[in-house]
Amino acid sequence: MAEQKLGNPAVVGLAGFGLTTMVLQFHNVGWMPSIGPVVWLGLIFGGLAQLIAGIQEQKTGNNFGYCAFTSYGAFWIALALMLIANNYDLFKASTQDVGWFLVAWTLFTAILWVGSMRIHGAMAITFTLLLAGFILLDFAHFGYPAMTAVAGYVLIACALTAWYMMARIILNELYGRELLPAGRPWVV
Amino acid sequence: MGRSTIALAGLALTLGAAPATIWADDSSAATAQEVVAKVREAVQYLNEKGLAGFSDFNNNKDARWVWKDSYVFVYSCRDNVMIAHPLRPDLVGRPILQMRDDKDHPLFQDLCKAGAKPNGGWVEYWWPKPGEGKASRKISYAHSAPVSFKSDIQVGAGIYDDTLTPEELSKMIEESATPQKAVP
Repeated sequence: MAEQKLGNPAVVGLAGFGLTTMVLQFHNVGWMPSIGPVVWLGLIFGGLAQLIAGIQEQKTGNNFGYCAFTSYGAFWIALALMLIANNYDLFKASTQDVGWFLVAWTLFTAILWVGSMRIHGAMAITFTLLLAGFILLDFAHFGYPAMTAVAGYVLIACALTAWYMMARIILNELYGRELLPAGRPWVV
Repeated sequence: MGRSTIALAGLALTLGAAPATIWADDSSAATAQEVVAKVREAVQYLNEKGLAGFSDFNNNKDARWVWKDSYVFVYSCRDNVMIAHPLRPDLVGRPILQMRDDKDHPLFQDLCKAGAKPNGGWVEYWWPKPGEGKASRKISYAHSAPVSFKSDIQVGAGIYDDTLTPEELSKMIEESATPQKAVP
């Protein structure tokens, strides 16, 4: 029996992660006044789609992808629900409360960052930018609101590197050669 | 004639809706103390409610942000936009930094500078009283408000007064800005 070719769930996970991260930064840097699109993308693309991609990673035996996609998918759903709930005075989260939420995600990201350095250069760059973005957002929520915009630019770069990894998987396959390299792991 | 009747009716409604117990004096002019209290209350409100809180200033929910002859407005200096103004919906969403008062004074550029100070600050400019067409001397207090995923929000409110100076009022802020210490 011929082995059936399976798609790589990471292409959807990276797409949802990158796009939703990107649109939140359009808001954070001040180009997009409303947070509305972030809420809906956070629920569906960054949230649901990435979460499903994460669950599919489980079957591929990739624990890093399984943990990362499932968790950041859940991050977006939680963030979107938190923003919606605030509008209805339901379990309201103040600026500092959101700050603590982000601090926890910063610590979590730091663990995956250590792992990312063993994967390849593109992954290490993405997670370095993601960790830096989270740290800047932490500062933004604890007395340095101007850091929101700085975090915005850092995380736009992070979203682009995530898309680079998505493009790598898709384009290298379609072109049948190493069109986009992954780069050497930072730690070998 | 018609305009002043509407203004009076509006003022009467505002006063009627405002909780009468907070301010004992029955004068129709807001005081500097009230302005500071309202601005700080608004900063706290936005801190707790986040981005979802902006619309409550525009629709003046609970008549909380308009009182006597004053009101609270919300704006972003970096994004150059009026976010909320309970009495002038036409200004909401519009750029603010190039706005000039009757004396050709770029009032929001000064408000942005004053609001960026740690305890906020006062700015003098000319702006019509609610319901009036002619500008009066106004002194407003501006203060920054930390809001999740929004880097640069300020809240302001002012009094119409011909004598007080921003310097005198700043002194009052310094005296009242000492944070209340928790009882040990």
